[in-house]
Amino acid sequence: MSEVTVKNLQADVQSLPVRKVNTRLMKLKRALPLFIMMLPGLIYLLINNYLPMFGLIIAFKDINFAKGILASDWIGFKNFEYLFSTRDAFVITRNTILYNGGFIILNTVLAIAVAIMLNEIKNKLAKGFYQSVILMPFLISMVIVSYLGYAFLSEDTGYLNHTILPLLGLDEVSWYSEAKYWPYILTFINMWKGIGFLCVIYLAAIIGIDQEFYEAATLDGANKWKQIIHITIPSIMPVIIMMTLLAIGRIFYSDFGLFYQVPMNSGAIYDTTNVIDTYVYRGLMQLGDIGMSAAAGLYQSVVGFILVLVSNYLVRRKSKDNALF
Amino acid sequence: MRKLISIMLVVFLLLISACSPKQESSTNENSESGDDVPEVNMVLFSGSVPKDLKIVEDEINKLTKEKINVKIKLTPINIGNYVQQTNLMLSSNEKVDLMLVASFFGYTSQAAKGQLLPLDDLVDKYGSDIKKVMDKDYLNASKVAGKLYAVPTQRDMASASGIMMRKDLVEKYNIDVNKVKTLDDVESVLKTIKDNEKDIPPLVPSNPGQQPTMIYNWFDRLGDGLGVLPKYDNKLKVVNLYETDEYAEFVKKMRKWQNEGLLMKNPGTNTETGANLVKSNVGFSYLSPLKPGVDSQESKNTQMPMVSASLGEPVSTTFGVTTMMWGIPQSSKIPEAAMKFLNLMYQDKELVNLLSWGIEGKHYEKVSETLVKYPEGVDATNNGYNLNMNFAMGNSFLSYIFEGDDPTLWHQTDEFNKSAIKSKALGFNFDSSPVKTEVTAVTNVVNKYTIGLENGVLDPETELPKFIKELKAAGMDKIIAEKQKQLDEWAKTQK
Repeated sequence: MSEVTVKNLQADVQSLPVRKVNTRLMKLKRALPLFIMMLPGLIYLLINNYLPMFGLIIAFKDINFAKGILASDWIGFKNFEYLFSTRDAFVITRNTILYNGGFIILNTVLAIAVAIMLNEIKNKLAKGFYQSVILMPFLISMVIVSYLGYAFLSEDTGYLNHTILPLLGLDEVSWYSEAKYWPYILTFINMWKGIGFLCVIYLAAIIGIDQEFYEAATLDGANKWKQIIHITIPSIMPVIIMMTLLAIGRIFYSDFGLFYQVPMNSGAIYDTTNVIDTYVYRGLMQLGDIGMSAAAGLYQSVVGFILVLVSNYLVRRKSKDNALF
Repeated sequence: MRKLISIMLVVFLLLISACSPKQESSTNENSESGDDVPEVNMVLFSGSVPKDLKIVEDEINKLTKEKINVKIKLTPINIGNYVQQTNLMLSSNEKVDLMLVASFFGYTSQAAKGQLLPLDDLVDKYGSDIKKVMDKDYLNASKVAGKLYAVPTQRDMASASGIMMRKDLVEKYNIDVNKVKTLDDVESVLKTIKDNEKDIPPLVPSNPGQQPTMIYNWFDRLGDGLGVLPKYDNKLKVVNLYETDEYAEFVKKMRKWQNEGLLMKNPGTNTETGANLVKSNVGFSYLSPLKPGVDSQESKNTQMPMVSASLGEPVSTTFGVTTMMWGIPQSSKIPEAAMKFLNLMYQDKELVNLLSWGIEGKHYEKVSETLVKYPEGVDATNNGYNLNMNFAMGNSFLSYIFEGDDPTLWHQTDEFNKSAIKSKALGFNFDSSPVKTEVTAVTNVVNKYTIGLENGVLDPETELPKFIKELKAAGMDKIIAEKQKQLDEWAKTQK
């Protein structure tokens, strides 16, 4: 459907110069409302996303406020050094990529599974109920989530140490000082909190699939599983790829709330909870150096940008239709 | 469709116009106040914004307009947002003429980054009273690279390590606080509490996320605590605190206390202050820096009588002196007026008390020449001017003392200041910008280990060597070398 309109438009554009100017004006007039509707968003995008890009020069400067931003000294890549110079650099980069990579895969798989299951529920009331329950965690602030987590994990009053572990005959665990548990805890919390939103998007895509496919498949004797594999998944593939590409673009950013608030900023578990964002935050709280923070931000977005380009290129080589651009 | 678009356009225009009149009115205000009397915008932190702020401001302006032809505008900012907001103000060149700055809010780096104006000439020209009131050593303590960027307020300039305990329990178990002088003495007190009061953790952290050695210390932190001066002297040789025997001993003791149940079990996740924990009946004591009048101050915080025991001599260090200072931001257009006003805060009793307590008869009443109290029907909860920042208002020795505190408080404080040991490095401010890469990395390592080690949660046998190794890998030695270099240069200028 969309392909057809695109082709029409292309044809129109190609034939433009040959036609009279009159039709061109007509077209413009017809499109004018759309342009006006686009205007606020465009202005917002320019002011909010493009104008601040001049600030990127801050990453390469030794900012002195007496001199002003433009007149401050250029120092090349010195602001970036701290991101790579220590053993921590390896730890935080590893944590960031592994966590986010894991989140992308697990969240996508789980969200699609839940979306398919939700779609199978025929009772409208039940469907609405389940959907709200699954979406709810997404709407809760991370600070509150961190205290929900604390209620479970707190050393002397937590639900796990107080009730569940004794019930199973296990020893108490001091959760906030044992680094080895945190990859699982953080992944679990992220899934619990994140899939609701993803699931709504996939559900919308699934609802949009033409029911005739399923009817035809049922007539041919395909069972539910076969239908899911051969109809549902391929049909929502473009959405999956788009969501994944967008997530890959942010793979070097991490959910600050998740990695800072949920572990309660407990030092003993930094090995598995420190990511680029929290490292930069903790290190620069004391220095307050905007050059170094700008450098970290630039590094994250450049790497994210390259990753999006590469993965989009790979997708395009496999199937042109599914690529983002 | 067309109708819809026109409606959208109208909404859009409304949005645009809704923003603009606001700006107009604010510029009006500015030009109105610009009737030849410069208006000093004074930014400070506070717990709340008093509702009678404007009334007090007007009263102050009457006074200052007559005396020095300056008006002021008070801009209190909640202390929780203070660092962020003032950093934004400084970075965006907002109109601020006088700002409360502090070592723990990054004063040295603000000065090094050129956000504050050098004040030497201004103080010479307009600050005669500042010079008269302030001890020269204390005034010099705020110098960064030989230049004065802020003026400390006159208050308690030293502090002693100490422990703050619940008075009712101290009396119940006949503990003689005068005999508590060392950590071993503290240990026996805590054990008494542990044995008799099962539900009350004997010693709780003073502040969430704060190293106990910030308060209980035997060394000059030299600013950031990365590279310290043991015994406040050490012949000006900077050492790595975490490698010293004293530190190893301290963390071993804390480990012992933790194992014996004398300390809070999960300090890493604690988010409450010691005072709040005591108030909620889940703490008997916490470490606290001591100064005259601190017992009654902490009693207010915990809402139960507190008593303190001193664990060390009063010492004054650069870090302590520079916790409360006034600076003039680079963006100020009227630095002379700001300095004139600042000077008046060190000299004029009426002004200091207006700023500290508000208007007589409305916000406070005199009991005697030095003591004040709330007027009839006014208390801490409904007082219209509850800034409570008297220690920041220039010469706080000029302010009245609130009823209930010792009437000789300022005299005692003065004596306390005079009796304090001055650190050998008092006046040295470390500029960490040459080693900022290392400081970032080391800060992360310090955050990772110190809370656990100094509260006995981590075992020093295995964790302390790991900690030291990671510090070295992160570049601790380079920071110490840089600090030593700067300290040596500073020492040369002191002779």
